[in-house]
Amino acid sequence: MKRIIIADDSTTARMFIKRCLQIIGLGDVEIIEAEHGKEALAAAKAQEVDLLLTDLNMPVMDGETLIKWVKASPKLGDLPVVVITSAGNPAKEAQLLELGAHRVLNKPVSPPIMMDALADFLDED
Amino acid sequence: MIKHNPLYQSMFDAVGKTLENMAFMEVMEHFDHSYEIPVDELAWNSLLINDPVQGEIRLAMSKIVLKKLTGNVFGIDEEEITQAQMDDILNELLNTIVGLFLSNLFEDDQEYKMGLPELGEDELPEIDANTIIWKLMTDDEDALQVFASGASLATLKDS
Repeated sequence: MKRIIIADDSTTARMFIKRCLQIIGLGDVEIIEAEHGKEALAAAKAQEVDLLLTDLNMPVMDGETLIKWVKASPKLGDLPVVVITSAGNPAKEAQLLELGAHRVLNKPVSPPIMMDALADFLDED
Repeated sequence: MIKHNPLYQSMFDAVGKTLENMAFMEVMEHFDHSYEIPVDELAWNSLLINDPVQGEIRLAMSKIVLKKLTGNVFGIDEEEITQAQMDDILNELLNTIVGLFLSNLFEDDQEYKMGLPELGEDELPEIDANTIIWKLMTDDEDALQVFASGASLATLKDS
């Protein structure tokens, strides 16, 4: 079974992302919820993870710092990271892609947008 | 710096898209522009915009509407809804609305900085000359209000 980490300090946002995943056919993956980047990083190091979905503005450790840590880690460097944020624009997106994010999605994310962003991930099933 | 979208339309579109995607509700202008949400029913929060303009955005609605929205978003019955869920929904709505508002308003290469949403207590702060108000309602005729305040934000009104 695949594992996905959802890092967002908002319960609503995490629930909304989970609902999108269910709608696009990823209802049976194991979801690990994290309230900030530090918690997500610890979860990613503790077990095999297939995908990281993260917000940017979070307490304790923000999404940008999380991406830097993930991409700098020999173990996690290849982990696909998709950013889901309300603070995104093309300039920010370019900066995040440069850091190593695979995709940047703007809130509110919808199932078709999520499906498009995770197409590669879905194809592997 | 400003795209073709006027300030008002940028916020209207941001609220509409957020409510449609997150809560499956349509938003339109309130038919009664004199309508005020009763203070004892009020739920509101605020978020600061730090860059490239400085200002504050507040989102207000009645607690009954917030409960209904929470039920829609979480897909649960109203009896199961907790205050924490309602607070979280209000904050996530405002966060998403302000992000969309800024991306509607500014050019693609314009970076912007916004704070984190904070819940308000009791009455809304007083309205001053630099406050712009959006009086809106859902397709169930439930009132929503958005306030944008701050001199540098208000100057965009006529751009």
